[in-house]
This record gives sequence, structure tokens and C-alpha cells, in this order.
Amino acid sequence: MNLKSERRGIHVDQSELLCKKGCGYYGNPAWQGFCSKCWREEYHKARQKQIQEDWELAERLQREEEEAYASSQSTQGAQSLTFSKFEEKKTNEKTRKVTTVKKFFTASSRAGAKKALAGKLKEIQEAKAPSPSIHRQASIETDRVSKEFIEFIRTYQKPGQDIYKQCKLFLDTMSHKRDLSIEEQSECAQDFYQNVADRLQTRWKVPPEKVEKAMDEVEKYIMTRQYKYVFCPETTDDEKKDLAVQKRIRALHWVTPQMLCVPVSEEIPEVSDMVVKAITDIIEMDSKRVPRDKLACITKCSKHIFNAIKITKNEPASADDFLPTLIYIVLKGNPPRLQSNIQYITRFCNPSRLMTGEDGYYFTNLCCAVAFIEKLDAQSLNLSQEDFDRFMTGQTSPKKQESDSFSPDVCLGVKQMCKSLDLLSQLNERQERIVSEAKKLEKDLIDWTDGITKEVEDIVEKYPLEIKPKSQALAAIDSENVENDKLPPPLQPQVYAG
Amino acid sequence: MAQMVTSGTSPEGPRPSYMYKVVLLGSMSVGKSSLAYRYVKNDFRELLPTVGCSFFTQVLELDEATVKFEIWDTAGQEKYQSVCHLYYRDAHAALLVYDIANKQTFSRAKLWLEELEKKFLPDEIVIALVGNKTDLAAEREVTTEEGEDFARTKGLLFMETSAKSNHQVNDVFMAIVQELLRREKEKAPRPSPHGRSTVDLRASGARTRCCRS
Ligand SMILES: Nc1nc2c(ncn2[C@@H]2O[C@H](COP(=O)(O)OP(=O)(O)O)[C@@H](O)[C@H]2O)c(=O)[nH]1
Ligand SMILES: [Mg+2]
Ligand SMILES: [Zn+2]
Repeated sequence: MNLKSERRGIHVDQSELLCKKGCGYYGNPAWQGFCSKCWREEYHKARQKQIQEDWELAERLQREEEEAYASSQSTQGAQSLTFSKFEEKKTNEKTRKVTTVKKFFTASSRAGAKKALAGKLKEIQEAKAPSPSIHRQASIETDRVSKEFIEFIRTYQKPGQDIYKQCKLFLDTMSHKRDLSIEEQSECAQDFYQNVADRLQTRWKVPPEKVEKAMDEVEKYIMTRQYKYVFCPETTDDEKKDLAVQKRIRALHWVTPQMLCVPVSEEIPEVSDMVVKAITDIIEMDSKRVPRDKLACITKCSKHIFNAIKITKNEPASADDFLPTLIYIVLKGNPPRLQSNIQYITRFCNPSRLMTGEDGYYFTNLCCAVAFIEKLDAQSLNLSQEDFDRFMTGQTSPKKQESDSFSPDVCLGVKQMCKSLDLLSQLNERQERIVSEAKKLEKDLIDWTDGITKEVEDIVEKYPLEIKPKSQALAAIDSENVENDKLPPPLQPQVYAG
Repeated sequence: MAQMVTSGTSPEGPRPSYMYKVVLLGSMSVGKSSLAYRYVKNDFRELLPTVGCSFFTQVLELDEATVKFEIWDTAGQEKYQSVCHLYYRDAHAALLVYDIANKQTFSRAKLWLEELEKKFLPDEIVIALVGNKTDLAAEREVTTEEGEDFARTKGLLFMETSAKSNHQVNDVFMAIVQELLRREKEKAPRPSPHGRSTVDLRASGARTRCCRS
């Protein structure tokens, strides 16, 4: 079974989460494994070199986007011409409109680009830029997302252009608003989502399902770019909260599924497989940049949990089963930067995805699970306060009390082995008992013979056997036959022939 | 995944479509899950044959609007009560369920109401008090009058149901829809051309917040 290696993988991930300098805070891949503070110290010198590189990168991106736009414009123009067959009169007017929009768009985006670059420079001088290699890697992805976005909104034609313009404008504005509190920035993002959706609906008369789809893409585009500024920002105590939750979960390592009444039995290989998958999903959430992708991880995790319950109970899981199991999964997985992720999703996810729908439901359950873990006490695990305290302080572990309940980290094979060992030791014990019983029996037997001998001797001693003289005794019967010698001699046996 | 709220495809004009989030609250074993299950299944919308049974959706094609219900079932164990307020954030309606054959669940329902009143203004949420398990009439511990009186003083919708014998389950949800639509008309003289206006937008005052604040 590959369970073990998978689990080990998860474990290694966990330990690598902390800052490389060992200051106890979380490291962040975007900061090359350092925490924000150590990162700034470490890379203070290296940053000057990057300014030049960033300039080039930003300019290249800008060029490419403009080129992509120009080509999308031309195809669109061709399209509107073919359609214009039916409306000859309007053709001229339409084409004129298209070019005006195009001009307007290009001009503004160029201005936007300059501002964006200025913003970028400023922020580099503030020493927040990641190292070149990470930066390149991230920007390759950003690049890809931009291309996909452009391709997508091309299918929306004019409204698409409008969306693109709005996004650019928003990103530009945000680059000047990095000093705002995270709540204010969140407010801006929410207003932006609202405005774009409204524009699409009212101004462009885009049908609701297409609006929804476009909004997903908009979120992906802008949040891929905003991520590094607004995920776990230094201005908040998100990082501290992450650490607190992490510590709390570690301190609760002794909690067993039985204590939480989790309706999942991991002895069933399929179930244990689902549990591992659920844990992997929830851990994976941290690696996503787009809020909706993070939500999707939570939903995937939840589906695996439902499957695990369904296989165990042989009936569909209800809310009463789901929440405890999710709590158990979170405890077992100890997902990285849980609070940061929850906060980030709450602040920057498109609200229509967060407040409603199945994704929203599972997200809410995750929030409940985390809140529960933070408040969890003896009563919620059906333990006495003394037991709870002893487990929390590590004085005892419930494992030693009940041989049945294993720590949540033990995999199936090890469990099986432990059970076999247990059986063997029981067998051994029985054998020893048999040997000692046999010895006892032997001893008893010896004692018994000895006892009998002694008893007999005692009796013999007590009642000594008085042996009378031999002759007398033998002659006794005939002794009084005085006329013995007068009897005829005894008959002799004779042999008769014939 | 979350389904789209599509406006009615009727060509004769825009019929608004609304999405409402309904949470089920109440003690354990009062029949919350059963009510949701009964409601969604009986209206022969195919019950999503998915693995989970805690998030339900139901679409109602009414004359005046298309309504999509999102029904959120909650964990009823007492130990989770302290985190349950997260469930009813941004809810449009709540079903406060108790078991008529168990007086204690009725008291718990009253406590739930206090919780709700802390988080919502009266016109922000439609609350229905539901006495379930009417089929257990012989073991009744809460009279219909008690329930009715309490609901009246608190301005709640009230109904007694049986998920088991399918008594008035549909009616509860219909009463909720009617009330929601009535409020919709009341508060919205502004026409909402594309229907989704009241759903997830800021009208609900639901700017996303930290889940624990
Ligand atoms: N007699 C009767 N039993 C019911 C009714 N509704 C639910 N139950 C039973 O009550 C128990 C708890 O129901 P459930 O829906 O799981 O309650 P929940 O914990 O509130 O979700 C189950 O055994 C149901 O079969 C009802 O209307 N009448
Ligand atoms: Mg239930
Ligand atoms: Zn550090």
C-alpha cells in the first residue's frame, strides 16, 4: 500500500512550512521559505538587480497583451462586417464605433501600464519583490493566466473589451492603494466585482449564466495578480493566527476519531484511501492563488469525506456526520496557513460564489471546523477535565490507556502489526502461564509424595510394628499338638503306569 | 457545484428569479434532515443522487417568479452550537424545528431564536417555527397552542409538520416563499431587470466578513 509514503509526504510538507531561519513563523514559498520579516532582511541587498529585470518583464507583458488585443480587434472587426450584410446602413456607424473604442482602450491601457510600472518600481523599492527565480516562475503563471483571460474575453466581443478595460483600471488603481488596510482593499475588490457584474447585466445585457462565467474569469485574472500583495499581508495578524492554529492542532494530536464521534472507520482500505485524499485536498488549498480554486479544494475534500462516511455507514451522510469528520480531517492534516487562506477567500472571493452554492456551504463548514477546534474543550470530547488537561500537557496519552485507540497518524499496516504483536504477546503470556502451572503441578506432585511418605513415617513411628519372635510364630498352629509324632508319615505321591 | 440562477426562459417577458438561502436549525433528532429530504424528494426534483445529504437545492417555478431554494442542513449536536452562527450568516430564511413529542427541543428552539435575533433585524430574515413529528400525537408534549402563541408573539411563521407522514412539509416551504416574495415586493419599487438583484448583492448588507468576527 502506498498510504505510508503519501502520508510521509504530507508530514514533510508540514515541517517545511516554517521559516527557514527557524524564527518560528511560517515560511512562504513566495519568500523562498522565509517568513516576511526574515525575507526582508535576507534579500535587502539583492533587490537592486531586480529593478531592471522587472522593468523588462513588465514591458514585455504589456507589449504582448497589446498585441493580443490588436489581433482580437481585427478578428472582431471582420466578424461584424460579415454580419453587416443584413444591415448595410448601420455598417459604417458600427465600424466607426469599434475603432473609437479600440483607440480609447489602447490609449488608456498604455497610460495604465506606465502607472502600473511606476507602482511596481515603488513597491520594489519597498523591498517586497521576491527573488528572481521565484518571481520568474510566478510570472510565467501570471503570463499564462493573462493569455487565457484575453482569449476568453475575446469570445465576449465588446463587453469583453469593456471587462478587460475595467480589470486593467482596477489593477492600476490597486497598485496605488497598497497602503490601505486589507479590509479597505477587500472592499475595493468587492465593489469591483459588483460593478463589473452590474455593467455586464445592465449595460451589455449579457445573460446571467454568461455573467457568472465571466466573473469567474475576472476573479482568476485579477487575483492571480493581486495574490502576492493581499495574501497574508504584513499589515494584519494573519500570520500570527496561522501559527496559533497550527500550534493548537499540534497540541491536539492525541484526539482520536472516537472522541469526536467520527462515523468513519479507517480499517476499511477504501475509507482510509478517501481520508488520505481528503487530507491531500485540504492541504493543497494553500498552493492555489485564485480564491475560487481554493474553494474548489475545500469542495473536493468535502466530497471525499462524504464518500468515506457513505462507505462506512452504507447510507448517505448527513450534516451531523459531516462536520465532525471535517474537524477530524483538519486535525489530522493540519493544513498550512489555515487562517490566512480563510481570510483571503473571505476578503477576495467573488461574493456570489462564497455566500451561496455548494462551495459556499462547504467553506462555511470549514470555518465552523476551525472555530470549533479553537474552542474545543474537555466537554466537547466527552472527557473529564483532568484527562483533557493531562492529554494537553502530554503527561499521558490516551493510547496507553486504551490499547484500541491508535494515534491518528498510524497507518493501516502499522496498526495490523501492532495488533499481531499484541496477539503474540498474549500468546507468550499464556505459554508462560502454562509452563509455570506445569512447574507448579510438578512441585505439587513432589510435595504430595513427600507428604505421604512423611505421614506414613509418622504413623509408623506412632504405631511401631512389634514383630514377635519368628519360631514361635510359625510353630504356633501346631505347637499344641502334643501327639504329633504319633501320626503316620505323610503320603508320598505315586506314579501309576498304564 | 453551485448552479446558476437562470431567469425564466419564458419569452413573454422578464420573470424575476430569486435565490434564497434557507438554514435548518434545531436540536438533534428533531427531524431537520428528514424535512429537507422529504421536501426536496417529494417535489420530484431529482434528489441529487450525490453522496452528501446536507446541502439541498430546489427550484420552484411560480407564476410570479422563479425561486431557487438553497437548503443548508446543520449539525445539531449541542457541542457545535457555539459555531453554528456561521451557518446562518447571509441566510434569507430559517426553519426553527422542534419535536412536538419533546418539550426540551421546544425550549432549545426558543434559545435558537434568541441567537438569531442577535444577528438579524426582524425584516432581514424570515423565520418559521416548525413543530415536527405530528404523527406522534399520543406522545405530544408541546400543544399546538403553545407553539402558535410563541410564534405569534415573536412574529414567526408557524406550522406543525410530519416528515414521516408528509404532513404540511411542502406548506412550510411555500409559506416561506410567499413571505419572501411579499417582502421582495414591499422593499423593491425599483425594478430589477435581471432578477438577481436581491440575491448575493450588497442589498443584503452582506459584505463578506471574517468568519469569526
Ligand atoms: N415519527 C416521526 N419521526 C421522525 C419524523 N421526522 C424525523 N423523524 C425521525 O427522527 C429521527 C431524527 O431525524 P433527523 O432528520 O435525522 O433529525 P435531525 O437530527 O434534526 O436532522 C430519525 O430517526 C427520523 O426517522 C416525523 O415527522 N415523525
Ligand atoms: Mg440532521
Ligand atoms: Zn523568519
